[in-house]
This record gives sequence, C-alpha cells and structure tokens, in this order.
Amino acid sequence: MTTVDLPVAVPAPVRAPLRQPGRRRRLLTFIAEHAIAIALALMFLAPFVFIALTAVMTNTQALTPDVWPNSWRFDNFVEVFRTAPMLRYLTNSLLYSVLATGFMLLSSIPAAYALARLRWRGRNLAFMAVLVMMMLPPQVTVVPMYVLWARWELTGTLWPLILPNLLGDAFSIFLIRQFLLTIPEEYADAARCDGCSELRVMLQIILPLAKPAIAAAALFMFFLTWNDYFGPLLYTGENANNWTLALGLANFRDLHRVQWNLTMAATLLVMAPVIVLFFFAQKAFVRGVTLTGVKG
Amino acid sequence: MTTVALPAVFVPAATRRLARTPAPLRRKRRKHRLFVLALMAPWLLGFCIFFVYPLIATVWFSFTRYNLLSPPEFIGLRNYTFFFTSDPYGLQSVRNTLWLVIFVVPIRILFALLIAQLVIRIKRGGSLLRTIFYLPALAPPVAATLAFCYLFNPATGPVNQALAKLGFGVQPLWFSDPALAKPTLLILTVWGLGDVMVILLAVLLQVPVEQYEAAHLDGANVLQRFRYVTLPFISPVLLFAAVTGVIQMLQFFTQAAVASSVASGVAPVGGGLGERLGYPDNAMLTFPIWLYSKGFASFQLGYACAMAVMLFVVSFAFAAVLLRKSRVFLYGAEQA
Amino acid sequence: MTRLRIPRLAVGLAALSIITAACTATESSSTEPLPAPTASASGNVRFWHFFTGREAEAIDQVVKDFQASHPGVTVKVSTGQDDEKMRQAIAAGKGPDVGLSYSTDIVGNFCSTGAWRDLQPYISRDQVDLNQLAPVVRAYTEYEGVRCSMPVLADTYGLYYNKKLLADAGYTAPPKTMSELTEMAKKLTTFKPNGDIDVIGFMPNLDYYENSPAHWAPHWGAQWFTDDGKSALATDPAWQEMLTWQKQLVDFYGHQKLTKFSAGKGDEWGAANDFERGKVAMMLDGEWRIAFIQADKPNIDYGTAPFPAADSRPDLYGGGYVSGNIIGISKGSKNPEAGWELIKYLTTDTGAIVKLANGIKNVPTTTAALASPDLEVDDNFRTFLDIFAHPSSGTSPSTKAGAEYQNLFGTWLVKWQTDRATDLAAGLQGVAEQIDDSIALAGS
Repeated sequence: MTTVDLPVAVPAPVRAPLRQPGRRRRLLTFIAEHAIAIALALMFLAPFVFIALTAVMTNTQALTPDVWPNSWRFDNFVEVFRTAPMLRYLTNSLLYSVLATGFMLLSSIPAAYALARLRWRGRNLAFMAVLVMMMLPPQVTVVPMYVLWARWELTGTLWPLILPNLLGDAFSIFLIRQFLLTIPEEYADAARCDGCSELRVMLQIILPLAKPAIAAAALFMFFLTWNDYFGPLLYTGENANNWTLALGLANFRDLHRVQWNLTMAATLLVMAPVIVLFFFAQKAFVRGVTLTGVKG
Repeated sequence: MTTVALPAVFVPAATRRLARTPAPLRRKRRKHRLFVLALMAPWLLGFCIFFVYPLIATVWFSFTRYNLLSPPEFIGLRNYTFFFTSDPYGLQSVRNTLWLVIFVVPIRILFALLIAQLVIRIKRGGSLLRTIFYLPALAPPVAATLAFCYLFNPATGPVNQALAKLGFGVQPLWFSDPALAKPTLLILTVWGLGDVMVILLAVLLQVPVEQYEAAHLDGANVLQRFRYVTLPFISPVLLFAAVTGVIQMLQFFTQAAVASSVASGVAPVGGGLGERLGYPDNAMLTFPIWLYSKGFASFQLGYACAMAVMLFVVSFAFAAVLLRKSRVFLYGAEQA
Repeated sequence: MTRLRIPRLAVGLAALSIITAACTATESSSTEPLPAPTASASGNVRFWHFFTGREAEAIDQVVKDFQASHPGVTVKVSTGQDDEKMRQAIAAGKGPDVGLSYSTDIVGNFCSTGAWRDLQPYISRDQVDLNQLAPVVRAYTEYEGVRCSMPVLADTYGLYYNKKLLADAGYTAPPKTMSELTEMAKKLTTFKPNGDIDVIGFMPNLDYYENSPAHWAPHWGAQWFTDDGKSALATDPAWQEMLTWQKQLVDFYGHQKLTKFSAGKGDEWGAANDFERGKVAMMLDGEWRIAFIQADKPNIDYGTAPFPAADSRPDLYGGGYVSGNIIGISKGSKNPEAGWELIKYLTTDTGAIVKLANGIKNVPTTTAALASPDLEVDDNFRTFLDIFAHPSSGTSPSTKAGAEYQNLFGTWLVKWQTDRATDLAAGLQGVAEQIDDSIALAGS
C-alpha cells in the first residue's frame, strides 16, 4: 500500500486523507501542462528554425532531407540583395509605413478625441460610421477607388495607399477613442477651471495621458502597412520601382523559383524588422491588442 | 442649477433648450461646435471620399459593363444573373470562403483559448511562452505563406520528408491537393493565432479569482468551472473575436493568393498573377481573390462591382450583429 | 441656429464627389487624331516588354542599334512586365508608349477595347508591306479587321528529346504518332524505390511547363470555335480523342504521382528545368529552349522534332502550334510617332530581326529575314523553321474575352486529369457553355 509510484487511478482507502492523491495529481498535471506547453512552443517555433536553417544552406541541400546545413552560407543574404532590388523595396516599405502612420496620427487623434471626450449631436451616429468603415472589407470599395486614383494619375505609386490616412483611419480612431474614454474627466475639468481652452485641454492634459494608446495605434498601423500585400499589389503591381518588401518577396520566388535557400533568406529579412520592433515595443503592443476587444 | 459653472458642453441637451440662452453662452457653444467640426473634418471628408462615394459608385458600376477604357455601359442585372447561373467559379469561391469562415474562425478561437489557458497556468516562463505563441502572428503573411509552401512542399519539403522517415509511405500533397489545400491554409492560420490569444489572455486574467474559489468549494470540476465561471465572463470577447474573425475571413486574400501561385509552380514569363490564382482546382480561390481576378486581371470591373456589392451585404450583416449584440463598443457613449 | 449638420453635410459632399467622378468618367472616349505626315520622330519612348535576364539583354542590344539610327529618340526600357500590369497601366492612363507581349491571346481584347491603337493609319502612310509576313502571323496580330499589333518574332512548338535516354531504351528516332509516344513514354519512365517517379518519359499533365490544350490542339487538328463563333469543344471530336489519349497516359502513372512529380519540378526558365536536368525524356517546348540550353550548358545530348500527330491524323505530322510576340502602341501614348518608329524598326528591319532572332533563338517573321544568310540555323533550330512553314501549323483564336476560353478549359482539365471529372462528353459540353456565356458577357 505504500507504493508512492502507483498511478493515481488506484482508489485511495477510505481512511486516507484526500490530500495525498491531490498532491500527486497536481504534480502530474504540472508535468503534463509543462510538457504540452513546451511541445506546442517548439511546434510554433519550428517554422522559424527551418526558415533560418534553410536560409544558410546551399540550394541543392535545401532540396534534401538534411536539416542541418553542412556548410553555412551566410553569403545567401548578400546574394538576396544582389538578385533583387531589396534596398529599393525596403525604402518603399519604409516610405509607405512611416508616412501612413504619421498621417494617420495627424488625422485620427483629433477625431478620436472628439468622439470620446466632447459632446455633440450626431456623435453616436458618427461613431457607428467609424465602426462600419472599420469592418468593411477593402475589396468592397476597391473598384471605384481604383478608378478615382487612376483619374488622379496616381496609380503605379504608393500614394493611393498613403494619402487616405490624411483623412482618418477607422481602426485607429476606434482604438484611441477606447483609451481616451478611460481617462477620468476630472483632469480636464481642473484644467478648464484654470481657464484653459478646449484646445489646450486636449493637447496638454488629455493627449499626453493617452500616449500608450497612441503608441499602440501607431504600431498597428506600421505593422499593417508593412505586411500589406493587397494594396501594393493593386496599386503598384505595374511599376516594380514602387514595390514594397511584401510584394517583392511574393515575386522573389518567381524570379528564383527553386532557389529555396535564397527565398528563405529573403523571407527572414522581411520578417526581421517586424520582430525586432515587436521586442522593443512589446508592452505598448500587447496593451493595444487588449484595448481592441476587452474593454467593457 | 449649475449651468454657468459647468461648461455648456456637459449640460444635457434638454436642459439647454429650456430658456433662451444668453449671448456669451451662445458664443461659447458656437466655438465648441467649430472645435468639434475642426477635429472631425478630416475624417468627415474621408468618410465621404473613401466610403460613401465608393459605395454608391460600386452599386452603380455593378449594373454596367465597364473596362475602364470606355465609359460604363448599363446592362441591368446581367452581372448578377451571370454570377448565379453561369460563372463556373463564382459559387466555388463562395463555397471556399464559407469553408474558411466555418472552420478557420472557430478552430482558431478554440486553439487560442486552450493555449491562453495553458499559458496562464504556467507560472515560470509564462511570458516567454506568450511571446513564442504570439510571434507567428507578427510574421508578414507573405513571408509566413512562403515559409509554409517550403515546409509543406510535397516533394522536397521537410514535413513530408519527416513523414517519410517516420514510415508513412504515401505523403499528403498539402497545398497541391484540392482536398487538402484549405486544411493546410487552416494550419497556417492556426499557427498565427497570436492575435486572438493575446486578447483572450487579457480577459482571462480579469476573471475574478473569488468566483473560481467559490465554484471549487462547491465541487465543480475543471469543465464546470469553465462553463459556469469563465465562459460567461469572456463571452463578449469571444463574440468580438468571432465576428472580427468572420470579417477577416470574408476578406481573406494574401495567404491564399500567395500559396496558390507558389504551389502551382507555374510562373509564365510575362503572364500575370490572375491566371495562377485558384490552384489547385480552385480550392484556394476565395471570393475576394475571384473579385480581384475579375476586376484587375480580366478588367470586368462591372462584374467585380457586382461581387463587391454581395460582399458588402454579407459583411455588413455580420458587422451589424456585433454592433447590436455587444455594447462593448458603445462603452461610455451616451445611450441615445 | 448653427446646428452641426453632419449627415446632410456628408450627403452633400458625397454628391459632389460623385458628380466630379461622373464628369471625369465620361471624358475618356476621345477620338484618335490621324497621324501627322512623317516628320523625324524624336523624344522619349517608354517601352515595356516581358523578357528578363539574358533575353532582355538581347533586346537591349537591338534597342541600342535603334537609338543609334534614330538620334532624336531615347527609349526607356522596362523589363519583365506582364500583360495584366500592362492592361492595368493602360486603363489607368499610365501605359507605356510601346508594349511587347508574348501572348497573342490578348490581341482580341486589346484591339476591341482600344487598349492598343489601330496601327493601320501608320502602316498605310509609311507603305509598310504586310505581305512579307506569313499568313498565320498576319492572322494573330489583328482582330476583326483591326490591326492593333505587329509581330516581333514568332514561336513554334515541337518535341525535345533526350538522345541518351532514348538510346538507352533502344530507340533511335523520336515518336511520330501518339501511340508511339505513349509506348516510348512508358518505357522511358523510371521510378524511385519508394514508387515516386524519378525520370518521366513524357509528362501528360496539361498544366506542366508548356503543355496546354492550345499548344497540343494542332496535333489533333482540334478547333476551338465553330464558324458562328460558338465553342467547338463539345462538337469537334478531336478534343475527345486528345483527352482520351491524355487520360490513359495519366492513368498509367497515377495522378497522385504526377502531381507530386510536378510539385518537385525545377524552374522552367533556368538550368533546373526538368528536361535540362535529365528528369524528362521527351517534352513539348518552344524553339527558345535551344538558346536556354546553350546558355545553361546542361550535361545532356538532345534532339528536336515535330511533335507527334494523332493516330487518326498522320497528315498533321510536321506542323505545330505557332504563336509569337506582339507589339503595339498604348491608347494613352504621349509619343506615338516615335513609338511607331521603334515598332517599325523591330518588326520590319531585316538586320534587327535577324539579330534578335539569333540572340534569343526565335523564328523571324518576315520573308526577307527568314531567307537572310545571317540567320544562324543549326539542325535543332531548322526543325522549328520547318514547323513554322508547315501548312498544318496553326494558332489559337482571338476573342473579345481574351484567353478566357483557355483558362476556363484549363480549370476543367485539372479536374479531368485528377479524376475529379469523369464524364468527358458532359464536361466538354459544360465548358463550352461557360465559354459562350463568358464571351457574351464580355461584349455585345
């Protein structure tokens, strides 16, 4: 009866206290949970590992069952820059992401502020409109928009993707508004009593408090534009000079179809900036994600 | 009452109308309105140019034959009837998108929930785990899809080579098999479930501990505790995740487009993307891909607009569910 | 009182933007001005073509010659541009002055929509003799009497075979009929220990490299359309014969194995090409492969021959699919006059044509260039010149809906060759109806 190693399934004698099997079970649960977690974590990491390993293989080895590179060819990364204008793609991606993010902030923060902290007739209606815009698939309006940009002779460039951000981005407005709602009104009231104008209340009292949400919105916008494929495909497809990294990467394989090693090296290069940025701004990012869905 | 001390903005509209407003107050109110207008003006303009106009134009174009070179030509409902009676891929693309909605959305949420629960329970290294599970969601979709095309390449990919080593004689063709292409996309999207997981993590952490303890004392087992304590608490968030998931799936484009063009291995010199989309056997031809292909590869813009109108109706219906069922969004707003 | 009238304001703004859009939408139907009498052309010409790498360099050489002989004109070349992009750019008013495409299927669409200009006024003015072009080439460069394109070299398709693999299997000559092809294909195929295909005799999948119904059709004499413009897929028995033949070879291998072989194929346009790697014993391909093999220097000994003919039509042997590169001037071209000079040079100057033909191993399209002593012809290339001249050679027709009819057919063929469609007659009937419907939708 004293065998501790027996599985919990053995029915405990009536006199035995309930604790012992409980502790054993807890230990087993602990081990099981950790085993599953580690196994899952490895599965989630595996693709990254394979990408990284393939990126430094020779092309012939990439087609064989060997997992471990038998010669480490870091030249592959240099080769990527030689075979495709990656620097140009990078410049375009940065132009798109940075300008879109900057413009978005300029136009969306004021709107979010008005929706969250000022009272006016039609406010709920306007907010509803923001929500509907946010949930509208871009493909719904794509044809007239394309026609419009074509009339303005801006197709073939990234401007059709950048300029609309000057006129507000629904998701960012939503995100910032949700955060602005949580700032207590007393701060603003106190300032108003000191004779501050509404503009100063906004710029000097409320917005500084909203920095985390603004940072999150900016990050989201940056990631969204960096990862965007549909937009650049539609508007810059015809003009390879204005391709972004995402578009260039999708076409990279067309140029070097069986060169999996180079393709994976390029893939890694495109993933890297986003991941680095994430590690620097993890906190703001996670807070932003939770803001979108959890409040309430 | 406190009318003068408080700024006019915060006085309920009903009170404001009671008496004739004195001049200074009126000026103040006008200033307030101008301020609101100034703040909202960019968005308002954007709303008209990027929402109202294209919506109306889409509906109009959907009744025309339009190739952008000559003016639109009115053809009534022909685009719509063609879609439902003659388009060999139209309904196929609807079925594909429906498949994604039905399988990808719930399975992603389910896995995200399980993993979130697991991460919460693990005390040491929990934050590292959270980062690991979140990382794939950050990978740009094009890059992630390319990676999966390599991993799951039927002939040379590591997955099949591992399966062969394990003794599986016949290995799946993954993206190249019409029956498996969408399930392989499912694996890809489950890998990137981090976005849903983070939201669920946040709300799971807010579930009141006392309620768990009370349920525990009442003798509830794990499942019961989940059913009666956790689920009611997180259900608004689940709804949010489900509806946004559905809307995401309705516009699912990048992964399917990249996977079919890469897996097809056909890169005709000088050909376009359009002729490769849908491989294999149109198993990955989603509704937005077919719309894009019709509009910007075949330049049947009127037809693409007819499809856009249908897409709008469906996604608006889902959006309406979320807007009505959940007060999540209107948090803090006036209950008009 | 000054209330905020957002909804009404929104409606007003929306109406305004619609009106502006509507006004700009109608302006596009302007009539083309007749070309002015010949002046020496000058200025910039934006020239897009689909070639890349080695072939693009050959184009650059000829463009350089053009600029030397036309000092006032500067050509700005963009390489690797596909038809979709070009069509998109033209529609958006940003098309190149001159575009070069490999796909003759777009002629119907480009001519009928006006995406490319009618070249007839220039041709008449400069008295360009179109009789120097082969009839098949003349046919595929115009649509319903509108000549919106000119031919820049032609492509013909034939059989490439690996001499060593054939010799090892005891064959001394390439197949001439489909039954011979079947028999040899089976014998030339080798399998890996796990049952996968190692070397394939002939790949029957219709979406593999240059395999396509259009490229196969001339060898069965299959017709795409009846005289009244309806799809002939269901009515012309040649299609059934072709697909029955194809299916029995697919079944010999098993479609799963073919799909897997296909998924592991090498890049068609490089040294990893399955034929160049010795993984395919016999293959349908265009004459340009000769230049690729020259450049890639693979370790194979190969020969070329016309593709085999259907058993029921031995008279067709010697012919093949003919297509070619086409060139035209975009609707919105800012400098059509200089663009036309470039086109005239590339399509009628014997020196330029021969230089380009030698550079990328394509078939010249004018009688003078074909007869030119400067044209480099070896035995392998001679095969293709003969196919080009053969009376049974043909091309695929143009429609208003472009190559839609081939895409629709191709989609169904994937079902057919993977056993997802089994009723051949009903399937062809279904595709024929789809084709008729889609052409009806594309234009009245």
